[in-house]
Amino acid sequence: MIFRSEASRGYTLSAPATAYVGFLVAAPLVILIAYSFWTQTYVTLDKTPTLNNYRDAFSDPLVRHLMLRSIWIAAVVTVVTVALAYPIAYFIAMKARKKTIWLLLITIPFWSSYLLRVFAWKLILGFNGVMNSALLMLGLIDEPLDFLLYNEFAVVLTLAHAWAPFAILPIYVSLQKIDPSLLEAATDLGNSSFQRFMRVTLPLTIPGIIAACLIIFIPTVGDYVTPALVGGSDGKMIANLIQVQFGAANNWPLGATLSLIAMLSVGFVAIVFVITATRLGRRIR
Amino acid sequence: MTVRNIIELRGVEKRYGTFLAASGINLDLKEGEFFSLLGPSGCGKTTVLRMIAGFQEPTKGTVLIDGQDMEGVPANNRPTNMVFQSYAIFPHLNVGNNVAYGLRGRAPKVEIDQRVSEALEMVELGGLQDRGASELSGGQRQRVALARALIMRPKVLLLDEPLSALDKKLREQMQFEMRNLQQSLGITFVMVTHDQYEAMTMSDRIGVMFNGRLKQVDTPTTLYARPCDQQVASFIGEMNILPAQLLAENGDTLSIDAKAFGQMEIERNPNVATSARDMNIGIRPEQLEITTEKPEDYPSTVQGTVSNVAFYGENIHYHIQVAGTDKPISVSVPNYFHTVDFNRGDAVWLGLQSASVIDLGTNIE
Amino acid sequence: MRRPSTLTAYAFLYLVFLYLPVLFLPLFSFNSGTIVAFPIKGWTLDWYRKLGEQDTLIQALWNSLGVGTVVALLSTTMGLFAARAFVRYRFRGQRAAEGLVMLPLVIPGIIVASSMLVLFLFIGLKPSLLTVVLGHTFLALPFSVSILKSAFDDFDASLEEASYDLGVGVFETFRRVTLPVVSPGIVASMLVTFTVSFDEFVLAFFLSGNQPTLPVYIWSQIRFPAKLPNVLALGSILLLTSVLLLVLAEYFRRRSSASEVR
Repeated sequence: MIFRSEASRGYTLSAPATAYVGFLVAAPLVILIAYSFWTQTYVTLDKTPTLNNYRDAFSDPLVRHLMLRSIWIAAVVTVVTVALAYPIAYFIAMKARKKTIWLLLITIPFWSSYLLRVFAWKLILGFNGVMNSALLMLGLIDEPLDFLLYNEFAVVLTLAHAWAPFAILPIYVSLQKIDPSLLEAATDLGNSSFQRFMRVTLPLTIPGIIAACLIIFIPTVGDYVTPALVGGSDGKMIANLIQVQFGAANNWPLGATLSLIAMLSVGFVAIVFVITATRLGRRIR
Repeated sequence: MTVRNIIELRGVEKRYGTFLAASGINLDLKEGEFFSLLGPSGCGKTTVLRMIAGFQEPTKGTVLIDGQDMEGVPANNRPTNMVFQSYAIFPHLNVGNNVAYGLRGRAPKVEIDQRVSEALEMVELGGLQDRGASELSGGQRQRVALARALIMRPKVLLLDEPLSALDKKLREQMQFEMRNLQQSLGITFVMVTHDQYEAMTMSDRIGVMFNGRLKQVDTPTTLYARPCDQQVASFIGEMNILPAQLLAENGDTLSIDAKAFGQMEIERNPNVATSARDMNIGIRPEQLEITTEKPEDYPSTVQGTVSNVAFYGENIHYHIQVAGTDKPISVSVPNYFHTVDFNRGDAVWLGLQSASVIDLGTNIE
Repeated sequence: MRRPSTLTAYAFLYLVFLYLPVLFLPLFSFNSGTIVAFPIKGWTLDWYRKLGEQDTLIQALWNSLGVGTVVALLSTTMGLFAARAFVRYRFRGQRAAEGLVMLPLVIPGIIVASSMLVLFLFIGLKPSLLTVVLGHTFLALPFSVSILKSAFDDFDASLEEASYDLGVGVFETFRRVTLPVVSPGIVASMLVTFTVSFDEFVLAFFLSGNQPTLPVYIWSQIRFPAKLPNVLALGSILLLTSVLLLVLAEYFRRRSSASEVR
């Protein structure tokens, strides 16, 4: 044996992965923070510490607007996706005969390219797109509907579709963990199936619901592809603004500042959410 | 005074595809009795319990609780409550809310609080309302499960292997506690168990099940003394089963030839059919006397050799090889003097009273 | 007990919602018209034929294949060690370490992308396929760790002990006992991490510089309506490839788990 203790073997073996991830999380963060206090004019970087970027970001109504909209859209997407996913998770965990087949069917679409899935929605919702042409052909409408694409609705729909499997899996796992005798005990003590669901099943799946919400909410706040493809000008989100700073506007310090603000806002909302949801769950008796 | 039947099963059968989990179950349970369903695992005893609770519907027959046909009545509307094998303590609720679970919305809060503290007092968990479900020991979980079911004031309390998750010491203590609780409340308890000692110590009556059939329903003493067949005889305690021949019948007395033990008169066992010449007799190991010299005061004696000795602490088991039988005869002797009196190979005498011989009837197969 | 029927119906509707939008891509890739709309003009394979003639596309394909392969190897190797450490050993800070490795799953893509771009330039790495590899390995690691963890979970530790007991050394045991038993998990991890890299867009968009991967190439084509049929054909091929790789990975993952879920 090379290493005496179990712990040292554990540390050594897990070191490459943890060090890699740790470095790529921590180092950019440090540099991002540094950048946010610098200024850039064209190609020259002025490293004199300044709060100008933060002042600009907070005073710019566009930033505030996009940030709030991103959080709003992500919140709506989260609620819609989780609400639509819960019955499916429940069906697979409690009712379905071939659970593995169903799980596989649910996860397969997720493995197709995200970019292509979003692109598919652009084709479907477009003015001269799949949906309008099909409705016209069926004679259900006389003129193409113009409210399908390039707005918040299109963004929410597309994101809800893209993140569906992520909501199902954590809820499924928490449902799967419920000891069936707990459900029988609730029935035995006089609960109807609805009461039983509200008082036992739902509270016991709250950890799964919280996980599903976080898994969806956090990445969708910073989603770039969907608003860029189907959002139009009314559906732009904070990620699009950040990308502009690193691209066309060539203002990396401001981009860094916006990234940090986005990260902190997401973290704040997530923490508030977890605390409230846990509190609410405890009040069910 | 005749006691009312609280549960009646009439020709109850449960079939899963081609598998008969239970069939031909007829059973009357009296109000206020402690009844146990005893049998090896997979014998259908839990199925019967779950059909009473309403978690499974019989494929045939009727279940009556307090005279009411339970067909189509779901578990949540039956006047029964259950203590689950895993206890099924709700992990998201504390002790008080677990116990109050079934009463929420059905009684004013003040009354619920009152009844919860009474129920917890009753199972000796007074004042533990705020304890979290995860902070409970195995024994405490069992008590919470008991309190949670009893607070509903069920007509019948159903217990599915309620003590199997506890260690031996605690199990024995709980056996007495639950028996006392049942007697002071006067509620009918129906317990499923595979442990014959548990069933015998706690129950007024026991129903023994094998392969989906209810073989015998009797008091513990009758089951032990008058088992209905060899299977029941050897499941309840240990039993030496020996072939014998029926010589003559005279009312309740049978005249038999017990091979090595000679001819004797024994009492007829009303639970079995004894009609043909070939029959079986049973002798409990503790009913045999074992001595070095031929015992004087036993009408029936036989000589043999010790083939095995097992020291159990409170008693000692000997296996005695006797001429004329293949299987050695088991003898159990209380450990009076902290010594093992006989060793392997010793020549010994066995003494037997004819009253100790149990008529096990004619083999039908 | 009457509920399942409505729930089942809902489940099937949900599947339609999941699959239908994606299925329009292959459907219209065979359309001879250049506008993606009903009615379909006619059926053709032209768009698929024309794919082979585009050099930038072929180059992007090679870039993606190369990146995906390296990412699969790197992340699976690191994941193998980490998964073994997490399943077999108990050490302080283990839960934190496991959480850290899962972190890339929940950081918004734009933040990962922008911060890595800043970091790589800061330490003097120009955007290229190398930086894409580094970024994708970061994203793929959580997948490889969780797949291999479940492979090690099903692996009975006494098998290794039996090997030591029979006088076989540590490395020999790893090669002759551990590796063969968890190899389906390794294959599954390689396939999944390859797919993660192959399909990833945002990071590659930020980090690939002038060496586009396939999704970055597609992005550049999406803007031109005339190129739509091309994108549809290419996209359909990618969809099919991803799904095939995943079904294959699932097959291997199933084989690695001794306790079958029914």
